[in-house]
Amino acid sequence: MIELLRRVAEEDPRRAAILTHERTVSYGELVRAAENAAAALSREGISRFAVAEHEAEPVVALMAAASAAGAEACLYPPSEPEEIERLLDRFDHDLVVTTRDDLEAGRVVRPEEWTSGADATPYDGPAPDAPRPHLVQTTGTTGTPRGVRHDWSRLLRGTARIKPERDHRWLLAYGIHQFAGLQILLHVFAAGATLVAPAPRRPREGLRAMRELGVTHASATPTFWRFVLAELRSDGGPAPALKQITLGGEAIPGPLLGDLEKTFPDARISQVYAASEFGSTGSMRDRRAGLSAEVLDRGDDADVAMKIVDGELWIRSRTGMLGYYGEPPVDPDAWRATGDLVELDGDRILFLGRSSEIINVGGVKVHPLTIEERVSAVDGVGVARVYGRSNPMTGQIVALEVVAVPGADRAAVETAIRQACADLPSASRPRSIRFVDQVAMAGSKIVRRTTGEQ
Amino acid sequence: MGSPQQLAEQTVRGFVARVKPEAPELELDTPLYADGVGLDSLEAAELSALLEDEVGSDPFTSDEMPQTLRDILGFYDEVRVDA
Repeated sequence: MIELLRRVAEEDPRRAAILTHERTVSYGELVRAAENAAAALSREGISRFAVAEHEAEPVVALMAAASAAGAEACLYPPSEPEEIERLLDRFDHDLVVTTRDDLEAGRVVRPEEWTSGADATPYDGPAPDAPRPHLVQTTGTTGTPRGVRHDWSRLLRGTARIKPERDHRWLLAYGIHQFAGLQILLHVFAAGATLVAPAPRRPREGLRAMRELGVTHASATPTFWRFVLAELRSDGGPAPALKQITLGGEAIPGPLLGDLEKTFPDARISQVYAASEFGSTGSMRDRRAGLSAEVLDRGDDADVAMKIVDGELWIRSRTGMLGYYGEPPVDPDAWRATGDLVELDGDRILFLGRSSEIINVGGVKVHPLTIEERVSAVDGVGVARVYGRSNPMTGQIVALEVVAVPGADRAAVETAIRQACADLPSASRPRSIRFVDQVAMAGSKIVRRTTGEQ
Repeated sequence: MGSPQQLAEQTVRGFVARVKPEAPELELDTPLYADGVGLDSLEAAELSALLEDEVGSDPFTSDEMPQTLRDILGFYDEVRVDA
């Protein structure tokens, strides 16, 4: 990662690398901070460390430093101290870089202890073919987070085809600790563009940043975009003049693409299919939901190949992870189940949802996403979440949580939802409907896994 | 706010009126299934979840599945005694 920053800094050290409401950080400043930190890592013989920090400036500097010095950095999600301490234990980290004062486990280093210093000299990092590990935690939408081991050389391979786009301003809508967040960083810095990094990274703050900080490009989950549309409806303000909208991380409800087209008529809309484990598989720019079936014909020479096995998408990736933390390395030529359930519809691979999200209603398997799509189209519905709720009669029932748009008549919305779902198979109709202020989320994705809780 | 029995009766009657508007008038001993109200298993599951949400506990989790409105009200009477 350091090489991406250095390349831009050599050309134009004053170009904005990171922009927030409070501060602009140039590429020159970022490289200086990274090289200071790399020198500290080397001086202290540190080979791996945790980062419990979420401001983009120090985090990017620390990641770049780690990539230069060959140390393994691992960014932690925002969590309570007890959870951070569990993760430190789980991933065997005894050193954490953070500005927090509430962590007691391990050695704590403040970011500025490593990044500050006006007289830094360029750090002479390892040879490009030396191991340069990086550890990414999964979002844990299906359970405890796992550590996914990557190598910077593999991660950077895809950036060679990114063209310089110095005028682009990309919104960071993902958590910076997420793999999707890392992909945004790599794209922005490979293009010599500017990262707009509001905090916290919620739709409301994201929309404000789009409007006030001149965001031109934004990549986020479908859930994030649905919330942005709900915010726009709610505040009645102008839609930001986006040139590019990218969706990824979840299956995309068909109506959402149409809503985005109407709201952002000048934006190019694309979808990416990627995951911490197998990396990015490329993007679709035809404004249609799902993937082109052509991805199934890539052949043995392709870095990333796909096939469908019993309704589930499988992937073979030579640019993906090295393996999970604490487990043996994976074979880059081996096929892996993705957990994404799909169906082939003509020339399209359509996503039905995650295998872990299937609701078993008395033996009938129900996919939540198709129901969510239908409910989301009902007037008065801001956001819908469909999940399996435990039930003594049928094992599970389809349960629905709804965030209503402000001012909506909830009784009328509930009646309209029942009417909209009346022609669904009996097992697929929502049998529990609750109005909530917000739905359960994990890393800007809706959590749809089954719960025994109400 | 009424007693759990009152809340449960109101919940059951409201539910039946919504899902089985043509059903015969609901008496305390009208069978909830088959030739009575005619609830199927999924409708019974829905009523189970609704009672849990509205009253705080679910009579369908007891050893004997309730067959009538009287059974449901009896469950809440037992819950009150147990408490």
